[in-house]
Amino acid sequence: MDFFDRFAVPHPSFLIYASMVGIGLTMVAIVLGITYFKKWGYLWREWITTVDHKRIGIMYLLVALLMLFRGGVDAIMMRYQLSMPDNKFLESQHYNEVFTTHGVVMILFMAMPFITFFFNYLIPLQIGARDVAFPRLNALSFWLFFMGMGLFNISFIVGGSPDAGWTSYFPLANNEFSPSVGTNYYMIAIQIAGMGTLISGINFITTILKMRAPGMKLMKMPMFTWSAFIANVIVVFAFPVLTVLLAMGTMDRLFGTNFFTTGDGGMDMLWANLFWVWGHPEVYILILPAFGLYSEIISTFARRNLYGYKSMVASMVVISVFSFLVWTHHFFTMGQGAFTNSIFSITTMAIAIPTGVKIFNWLFTLWKGKIVFTTPMLYSMLFIPLFTLGGVTGVMLAMSAADYQYHNTMFLVAHFHNVIIPGVVYAMIAGLTFYWPKMFGFMLNERIGKWTAWIMSVGFVLAFIPMYITGLDGQARRMYTYSESTGFSMLNMVAFIGAGIMAISFALLVYNIYYSIRYASRDIGSDPWDARSLEWATHTPVPEYNFAITPQVASTQGFWDAKKNGHELFKGKYEKIHMPNNSGWPFILGCIFFVFGFAMVFSIWPLAIVTLIGILVCLVYRSFEKDHGRYISVEEIEETEAKLRGVKNEDR
Amino acid sequence: MKIDNSLPLEYSTEENNLKILGFWIFLGAEIMLFATLFTMYFTLENRIGHGPSGAEIFEITPVLVETILLLTSSFVIGLGIHAMRLGNKKAMMVFFSITLLLGAGFLGFEIFEFVHYNHVGATLQTSAFTAALLTTLGTHGLHVTFGLFWGLAILIQIKKRGLTPETTNKSFIFSLYWHFLDVIWIFIFSFIYLKGMM
Amino acid sequence: MKELFPVKQVMGFVFSLVLTVVALLVYFTDMSFPIGMTILLVTAFIQAGLQLVVFMHAGETDDKKSIYTNVYYGLIIALVTIFGTLLILVWDM
Repeated sequence: MDFFDRFAVPHPSFLIYASMVGIGLTMVAIVLGITYFKKWGYLWREWITTVDHKRIGIMYLLVALLMLFRGGVDAIMMRYQLSMPDNKFLESQHYNEVFTTHGVVMILFMAMPFITFFFNYLIPLQIGARDVAFPRLNALSFWLFFMGMGLFNISFIVGGSPDAGWTSYFPLANNEFSPSVGTNYYMIAIQIAGMGTLISGINFITTILKMRAPGMKLMKMPMFTWSAFIANVIVVFAFPVLTVLLAMGTMDRLFGTNFFTTGDGGMDMLWANLFWVWGHPEVYILILPAFGLYSEIISTFARRNLYGYKSMVASMVVISVFSFLVWTHHFFTMGQGAFTNSIFSITTMAIAIPTGVKIFNWLFTLWKGKIVFTTPMLYSMLFIPLFTLGGVTGVMLAMSAADYQYHNTMFLVAHFHNVIIPGVVYAMIAGLTFYWPKMFGFMLNERIGKWTAWIMSVGFVLAFIPMYITGLDGQARRMYTYSESTGFSMLNMVAFIGAGIMAISFALLVYNIYYSIRYASRDIGSDPWDARSLEWATHTPVPEYNFAITPQVASTQGFWDAKKNGHELFKGKYEKIHMPNNSGWPFILGCIFFVFGFAMVFSIWPLAIVTLIGILVCLVYRSFEKDHGRYISVEEIEETEAKLRGVKNEDR
Repeated sequence: MKIDNSLPLEYSTEENNLKILGFWIFLGAEIMLFATLFTMYFTLENRIGHGPSGAEIFEITPVLVETILLLTSSFVIGLGIHAMRLGNKKAMMVFFSITLLLGAGFLGFEIFEFVHYNHVGATLQTSAFTAALLTTLGTHGLHVTFGLFWGLAILIQIKKRGLTPETTNKSFIFSLYWHFLDVIWIFIFSFIYLKGMM
Repeated sequence: MKELFPVKQVMGFVFSLVLTVVALLVYFTDMSFPIGMTILLVTAFIQAGLQLVVFMHAGETDDKKSIYTNVYYGLIIALVTIFGTLLILVWDM
């Protein structure tokens, strides 16, 4: 019986049982639905085995939206719990699990796939390439990420969720203080997903360095591609730190080593240190692509070239190096000397400079521009003031002496939500709205979209500004309740209302998608926003080879030149196109990794060994496999092009 | 597939060039992986708890043998790539086989070393120092082990398929990997063993 | 037979053996810690550079710049991480 006891949730509550039933029923419904409509073959051929960067991108998007929902439910639960003093809605253990999964899910399984969706969908299109450098590895990245995400998410119905915070500091995360398998899930699921991220980082860097269209020098790349390039450079150099760190944490928990123990020489502070060596660059991995999206959107709707292209690039390069120089500011109070704290205070404040440069560049782009207030532009305009507020409170936190007052209070929570929500989440929604017509051939409703943006911003301000105040008054983060006498109750109630309003805005976003699917016009051509860079130069829907003829560019705004200045993008005739074959191998390897991860979480060694051998067999099989891809013939290209031209009734 | 005959085979197609650059970037990530291990090791090296210290358990002989074996194997695989560029399949296979044998010899000595550590009471669970030491060495050793299987797979493919753009590309990338492991070993040799015994 | 042993690589190998012997002086002679560390740092980084240039052919293609930037970037971040961590957790704790 002991064997099976481990799989039970250690601290069950009505909510957990209800969601178990809910998840079970949904799964059954999905399986029955696919079987009933006979879609298994379609799913396997067109999606699971695909190596097309656009489809992989859309799968990332689906995961991100699903996880946004899950993380959002966690957030609402937390805000409700704190809305009243001595609330009995969640008990302490459940609250710990909720804030832990909220953090992990939102950062690693919502924001990361969301930006990876943009990387996948946009990078090859923006640089005029047919696909990424290693299409099959790209599929593997997705499936590793997906399986890591899946493994993390089953934790709350099988064996219990992690409960040591998204930072999972030791000694709290060791076996003594976190006895359930929850933290094992944390260590292993993030490891698997992180491998996927690292592989896709290598893939995108190679793609950007080697596969740009003729004429597109590095300094002529669209700004989003630049930001993606820098973000992936950070991925490649930051994620190995996480790999080692999680491996050490796993060994401490499963094999009884003494890395982070408090006896036998172990040093728990090493975890915090290495976590942030990865964790701080991770923040920039999220924000830089968001900056890239804003740059695209702002220059499109100000109808101007981006102001200060070179300083934009330079500031991102500086940020990429500096992001590795500031990690100590996450633990100023840990006990290192004033000398060290001073160094990292200064580097932290210094990183505000390149960020400030970017803000001013956007403002100068707007200056004298013919601004068009579309939904994506509205998000960008809301982003600038709200994000600046978050940035300024960041500089407050950067002062190590003052940080002793703010550390681990709600002030900090308010700060990082204030940069991540207007910075990253707004960018994701703005980008999604902006690129939606490119992906699906119709636009999202503008009226509902603008309402969503305003409601989200009102909700955001109500939810997070009060936390600055309660934080300064001393409300600690991660506390599941507080007493009436603290006087925090009114502001926390306001924050809960704000969170509720934000939830309404996300519901409105979903309604907008539904509404637009039903009512939006399908006759929008391939360039509905009058945009500037190459991704808009191809047809909508984008054919699988992206561009029938490789475009040739001469500036950062190739498509704009073609439209307004008579630049000729597509020179030459059709030639046969080499494309990679689909493959089931990445999915199968991902599945084996999932089982391997599960076996590790529960220390089922025979299964772990068998699956490890399975992984090696897959790699050997891949090494010996002969696959030279396939060719799309000229006739086929002509046919596709004619059809797509017919769809949009214009000749370009 | 376009093949450019003016270049060595391993660079002759677009795909091959992508793979070589991609692998270099992967090596950039590997630099960080081992840097993190070194960070951890240097932080924990004096935290020996009740266990032995480095100076007490390190022995120069096996370490020196391992160093010579790995340095030589790195040299030999360089010769293998040179032979490959001359189009000399047989010489290349001989050099690659010697490389793998030297690698296996290295691994044998490392296992012997681990057994020795176990014997003198320095196990994975003894102290923070021993965990750091064995994890760092073990990660390098696992890389070598993986390399042995990988190299073997490439040898078989060269034997069966000859020197084609694909097989030469794989061999070249494998040689990068092998040299890189040698570089890492030099740092382990200098800053774990020699520094520890100084 | 001779063309199988290019002079450059043989010399590189001999040089790397010499560097190993120099590094071993740290063990076989009695020297102070700073001097020993200096010798180790110098020999280790020369060895690494040797492997990179002579054996790994880092500079032979058009991607030379990307490859070297990649390695230097990694090296800088690596050193920052190692020494930053030592500063935080050992020297200034």
